[in-house]
Amino acid sequence: MKNYFRSQVVAGIADPGNRHHRCRLQLLAAALALLPLVASAKLNVVATLPDFGALAREIGGDKINLVVLAKPTEDPHFVDARPSFVVSLRNADVLIDGGAELELGWLPPLLQNARNPKIEIGKPGRAQASQGIRLMNVPTNVTRAAGDVHALGNPHFTVDPIIAKAIAQHIAQSFSALDPANAAFYDANYKKFEAAINAKLQEWGATMLPVKGQHVVAYHDSWPYFAHRFGLNIDIFLEPKPGIPPSPSHLTEVIAQMRAQHIKAIIVEPFHDRRIAEKVASATGAKVVEFSQFPGGLPGTDSYVKLIDALVSRLAAALK
Amino acid sequence: MWEVMFWPIVACVLLPWLLVYLGLHVVQRGIIFIDIAMAQMASLGICLAVLFHLDLQGWATFSIALGFTLIGGAIFSVTGKRSSQIPQEAVIGISYVVAAAAAVLLLSRAAEGDEEIKNMLVGNILLVTPHEVWKCFALFVAVGVFHFSLRRNFLLVSFDRDGAYQKGLRVRWWDFLFYAVFGLVVTSFVRIAGVLLVFSYLIVPAVCGINLATRISHRLLIGWMIAWLGGIAGLFLSFWWDLPSGAAIVCTFGALLILISFFALWQHRRAHSIGISDSR
Repeated sequence: MKNYFRSQVVAGIADPGNRHHRCRLQLLAAALALLPLVASAKLNVVATLPDFGALAREIGGDKINLVVLAKPTEDPHFVDARPSFVVSLRNADVLIDGGAELELGWLPPLLQNARNPKIEIGKPGRAQASQGIRLMNVPTNVTRAAGDVHALGNPHFTVDPIIAKAIAQHIAQSFSALDPANAAFYDANYKKFEAAINAKLQEWGATMLPVKGQHVVAYHDSWPYFAHRFGLNIDIFLEPKPGIPPSPSHLTEVIAQMRAQHIKAIIVEPFHDRRIAEKVASATGAKVVEFSQFPGGLPGTDSYVKLIDALVSRLAAALK
Repeated sequence: MWEVMFWPIVACVLLPWLLVYLGLHVVQRGIIFIDIAMAQMASLGICLAVLFHLDLQGWATFSIALGFTLIGGAIFSVTGKRSSQIPQEAVIGISYVVAAAAAVLLLSRAAEGDEEIKNMLVGNILLVTPHEVWKCFALFVAVGVFHFSLRRNFLLVSFDRDGAYQKGLRVRWWDFLFYAVFGLVVTSFVRIAGVLLVFSYLIVPAVCGINLATRISHRLLIGWMIAWLGGIAGLFLSFWWDLPSGAAIVCTFGALLILISFFALWQHRRAHSIGISDSR
């Protein structure tokens, strides 16, 4: 459809003197006015979260129109809907979401209102990042008595660079299937991204080597994949249970554990209450390290590689 | 734009009339924050349902939430004595904070994140579904008929309490009836449109009406105009500038109220200078 319209446009413009063509051009203009989406040469891509957005940008470059719904400094569990979200979803050719219930609180009503059959689950226009990824910490029973647990497993997986490669490949395949004309471009971009990550993995590994095996405290359980990749233990949390605000007795316990294990760092994200982390840090002598799951959540991290660069160097410096 | 904004606009046309009318009562009684206290009572009921692992969309949860608003209504009708040292607004404020704090305590034990509860309680006018709009509209029509058929007593109790007592009305009983129905209306509208909007729709049009007119029917008409204008203009602004819709409507109401206050001041001044108000 897309290519058909484009070839018509080219034919019409190439021979403007021809009356038949001019007439056809007018018809075409009317068709274009009615079908702006079909006529646009670029894929309309919507990413729910900034990490998927950053990967989509690596793959799609200037061949896609990209809209990212959540801001990098926003809590991915709670995102405020705006009218443009519905419009973007309605016009989307591709929707990239996590597929692991992280956006459960806000994406379903938006999709219900957008009513776009192209991006329904199972359609080629829906790329679910978690597909083909083995999620960590899948709860054995789903009573949800253990807090705001995601039934499918921990959904904060993009911070593992090897998983990010898999997601990027998945995105490249989706784009190629929907826009075969640019398949080679998407594939080349994926190869470029893969090579960049492979080169960086050694560098990151070397930076983290001296601090390997150390324990780190986090506000929320967003970092099992990062910890797994770089050989850290991020298994003590300021929240007593996911989504539940810290209570005094729990914080006392955390402080005792931190003293016993000589833990040197607490990682917090922009949308967490930094004062709680600082209170615990001042009681234990640990450092508060600002972290983000999302490119753009820390200054100077507009790409995925820059984000992991920042996370690795910040944490290594704090743990030294 | 219509595809996205159609149902929000329908909601803003079909639903606020009842809130404006109830708002006149609420402002007259001087119990401005009752809606927020009532909504908080309902959410406390829902937290209890979470604790018992009930289906949040089911009838049991709804009944518990309604039960809690009835308890709220009972408290407010008992404390609203004819001559009390303690203003009603103090009781309302206390009910609000205690209900909010109790919800925090329950949730920390229920150990279920508050995503679902927030979803359940606080709607977003942008994302209303046709089904929600019609269900709410049907409820509002029923409540409207109920209020209309008993309007003499309801109006007497709100606007002329001394008169109501003199006539021998059972004022507390009428208060309770008012609060119970009010709680039902507020809770169902909050689920569609959120707390900010419910408050704005109750209070701002009523205050505008009081500013510009003295008769209840005139105040009601002015309030309806303001509610429609503010709601629809707010939705348009929210679309054009891509702002969160509920907050855009509330700020539009704020701007309208400022304009109307200036207009009322100017009218008052003019009346003074011609000498109308002196000859009253």
